[in-house]
Amino acid sequence: MQPIVQNAPLVSPPGDEARTGERPAAPPLPQSKRSPWRAPAMLLLGVLIVFVVGYLAWSVPGAWFPGASPKTWYAKDLTLARGTGALHDTALAVTSTDANGVALVSVNTDLRATDYPGVAWVVADLQEDAVVKMLWRTDVRPDKVNSIVLGVQSGRTLPVVMAENRDWVGRITGLALVVEGRLAQPVLIGGVTAKPMGVLGVIRDRLRDWFAFEPWNGASINTITGGADNQPIPLPAALALVLGAASAIAFALRRARPRAFAIAMPAMLAAFFVAGWLVLDSRWTLNLVRQEHATALRYAGKDDVAKHLASEDGALFAFIEKAEAAMPKTPVRVFVAADDDYVRGRAAYHLYPHSVYFNPRSNALPPPSAMRAGDWVLVFERHGIQYDKALGKLRWDGQPPIDAELKLLAPGGALFVIR
Amino acid sequence: MSLDVVALWLGWLLVWTLGAAITFALYRRFGDLSTDRGGVAFVIGVGWFIGQFALTLWMRLLSLVHVPFGVVPIAGPLALIAAAFAWDATRHHGLAPVRRARDAYDALRGVELDNAPRALWLALLGWLAFRFALLLLEVLRRPLYPWDAWTQWATKARVWFELRRIVPFGSEAAWLAAPAGSVYYDAAPNYPGTVPLTQVWSATLLRRFDDALVNLPWWLTGVAFAFALYGFLRRQGMKPLAALVGAWLAVSLPILDTHVALAGYADLAMATYFTLTALSALRYVRTRSIADLVVALVLAVACVLIKSPGKVWIATLIPGLIVAWSARYGLRIAGAFFAVALAAALVLTRTGIAVLGYHLQLDFDMPWGGLWDAYFAFANWHLLIYGAIAVAVIGFRELLSRDIAPLTIVVAAGVAFLLFGFAFTNARLWVEDQSTVNRATLHLAPLIVVWMITTFDAWARSFSRADEPRHAAPAAA
Repeated sequence: MQPIVQNAPLVSPPGDEARTGERPAAPPLPQSKRSPWRAPAMLLLGVLIVFVVGYLAWSVPGAWFPGASPKTWYAKDLTLARGTGALHDTALAVTSTDANGVALVSVNTDLRATDYPGVAWVVADLQEDAVVKMLWRTDVRPDKVNSIVLGVQSGRTLPVVMAENRDWVGRITGLALVVEGRLAQPVLIGGVTAKPMGVLGVIRDRLRDWFAFEPWNGASINTITGGADNQPIPLPAALALVLGAASAIAFALRRARPRAFAIAMPAMLAAFFVAGWLVLDSRWTLNLVRQEHATALRYAGKDDVAKHLASEDGALFAFIEKAEAAMPKTPVRVFVAADDDYVRGRAAYHLYPHSVYFNPRSNALPPPSAMRAGDWVLVFERHGIQYDKALGKLRWDGQPPIDAELKLLAPGGALFVIR
Repeated sequence: MSLDVVALWLGWLLVWTLGAAITFALYRRFGDLSTDRGGVAFVIGVGWFIGQFALTLWMRLLSLVHVPFGVVPIAGPLALIAAAFAWDATRHHGLAPVRRARDAYDALRGVELDNAPRALWLALLGWLAFRFALLLLEVLRRPLYPWDAWTQWATKARVWFELRRIVPFGSEAAWLAAPAGSVYYDAAPNYPGTVPLTQVWSATLLRRFDDALVNLPWWLTGVAFAFALYGFLRRQGMKPLAALVGAWLAVSLPILDTHVALAGYADLAMATYFTLTALSALRYVRTRSIADLVVALVLAVACVLIKSPGKVWIATLIPGLIVAWSARYGLRIAGAFFAVALAAALVLTRTGIAVLGYHLQLDFDMPWGGLWDAYFAFANWHLLIYGAIAVAVIGFRELLSRDIAPLTIVVAAGVAFLLFGFAFTNARLWVEDQSTVNRATLHLAPLIVVWMITTFDAWARSFSRADEPRHAAPAAA
């Protein structure tokens, strides 16, 4: 087999193509039955194996091939001992801490500590500065409650390796999670998994991190994580390390033995780089395929209105449809009031081409003096707005009342016209 | 497929044809496509960008003279102009365009390549086709999704489509004081109207504002950009497979694809127009072709009218163009330019003023963690930043060589602009929370791809020349 590129630059001088008919002007190589790409491929594979083995030696805390299998307790298995919250679908939503500023969920377990050196809590929507601890009891000292602080990144807890902890001994009879301080939003707890952390488990965890489905979310337009949040080893960095090491070794080998490779060094480096890029692009393509499937399930075959009703703000859109039916066809001035930035912006967008006012950054409304007779006020999920139907007075945020007529009332929303 | 969707495709095909006809005629008269491989891809690709921008200029003009937006007022004259340019471009050349199309078809099939390169060529084409098919489905199905799209871009499009003319958007104070309907308000009333006007054209073709279908131009921009980049790289002398790999590297960047799939932002247009402006301008200095100059100027004006940072991005081209223009003194002048710009920027940071909405402050605090995540850990850029750094290291002798130096300086100016913004303005917060760092970098990223592969190629040539004697020595021995 001929090499694809042999000492051939990517650019050819003008007119060169006509002479060569686009074929690289490669000097003849010594004929060999082996592909010239075999040696570079073996080098890359060898470096990859060395790095994988090295990583496993560094990250596997106990036996490489443990007999135990992971044990998981889901949200429904957890008990909320302190604080308030409720089970929603597959997560326990903790809405507030107790009077001492503590929320605690616990579960009874029966684990051999040596079989399970790793513990991963599935917790989301934490504040970055949240203090989160894991507690546990053992049968060695049943009266003692042990604790360790868990790392928090991107609102999620990081897995913890307990192998070196002197109190992780005997049988673990109970696990608990403590969240301290005031909660700005509900904290979602999906469960806890005790992990044997053998070779296969670690490899599985990394592959799961790298190839987890990352659906579109509000931040996608700004950044693509590439799989799960909080990856201890990001795939691009791992690939760059492997490719960089393979390239450096290839350089060194080439310097020591100029005929070590039948492929030109630039072509080899380019091939390494493109191979790494292809791995990442395959992951990205796979994610796009999954995303398109999810999008199709939600929107395929629907018209514009049905798509809006199926969207995240479907309830708001339905309310705006009713409001628009109550409003004049010609554009009028509309003030949008809602507590949530997202709701104000979406409501305004749906209301165009009416001349809409919405505050993009706060829920404050202009004073009544800024409004004129014939202006409209659309309210959706906004606290602090009062309407006296008998007097026909509307007021908000301690401002003086203003004459207004209620034109539409619906769950969570209302529409007024200023008189 | 319903009739309105057919109208949507035909309407945009007309715009693309208009741009391609203008580009083709321009190069027929004032440039030279005859000796260029990749000429057809270049005309098709760049033609989209010229046509799209021409459409928005025409719509601005219609609004200025109070002609309501409609299919006939917009498409009629554009069709006539397209026909005139196409006729002008082809009248003296008989069947040459047919032969050119046949050549392009053969090139697409890779008939000129050997077996292995051809297999790779076809595989890569298939991969790209699959990617764009996925993106098309996403664009056509998903209603407007990302935040700024419905708070500051499509807001204008919705109003202008319904009112069939461009009406002003003003500040909160202006809106409160103005009579109803004379001034509109959204989250960024001062943003340019170029991108919303493309949505207005989609909606005009559909006769309704369909939140998903109006975004078709984002997908078309992605496809056209692949054509344009391939054409540019081929016209620079790059081999077909290498040029296709270059185009693939650029259009496979996840953050770029995301801006196609989650259409509605202006960053994709900013990135693509700026890349093609830079490449056209640098090419003009080399060829002194009026056609290259006109394309560069038109695209540069488009950059300014797409997004506010477009002005700064165009300014970053100046030192690179000086280097391209003056081989002897260019680097010294560019160095002085950088020094003056840096000094001016540092002086400005002491004033605490805001430029383009960014508050300058003399308090160096580079958000390293955010930069690491954005560029090296997350999936935004595949291996681009790693590759660019590696190429800069191994090819450092080539960076300021005569052929590479202009593009190196352009990229350096762009990187300096980004890093200055991250270190000395309130944008650092948007790096830490990942809200702006990648979108800002997207504007420069395709150009970094081009710089990376051209520098690597220059290094490869140099390496091969230096390596040949060593390589040959043992054999001779």
